[in-house]
Amino acid sequence: MSNTNISKQFAICIKNDNYPASLETRKIYEILPDEKANQHHQIRVIDESGEDYLYPSSYFILLELPAESRELLSLCNF
Amino acid sequence: MNFEILGKIEQIEIIAIDKSIRDVERLKKIYGQGRWRKLKGIATIKLEDESICQAELHWYEAHGIGKKEIKIKYLLDE
Repeated sequence: MSNTNISKQFAICIKNDNYPASLETRKIYEILPDEKANQHHQIRVIDESGEDYLYPSSYFILLELPAESRELLSLCNF
Repeated sequence: MNFEILGKIEQIEIIAIDKSIRDVERLKKIYGQGRWRKLKGIATIKLEDESICQAELHWYEAHGIGKKEIKIKYLLDE
């Protein structure tokens, strides 16, 4: 089990206003750390384009998952 | 859009065209058929928390459809 995968964060999209092609509601997305963005209530998300972009934190619910679950999710193809 | 673009977007470059855009089928399904392009540029933006900063923006556009899904790639300074 790699430390990289254990530390990965995930969130469920609950809103996709203005971004229907980039985000799907009720879908799980990988989150990347971005302290500067977080200070502005933004969250860095790997979206449907396969690239990471900033979205409002209010569009997502962060998932608090056990390490084992995060590892399994990390192995999924998004 | 959850942020406001102040002034013009500058240093505009094309990143990808049509089939080179990973999520082009989603764009066509949601916004309509067209020759879609993905572009990037730099602009001054005002975030929801009222802070103003420079940002690298990415978006999609097609002739007759216009700019869609303008996303923040990086916050450059404040």
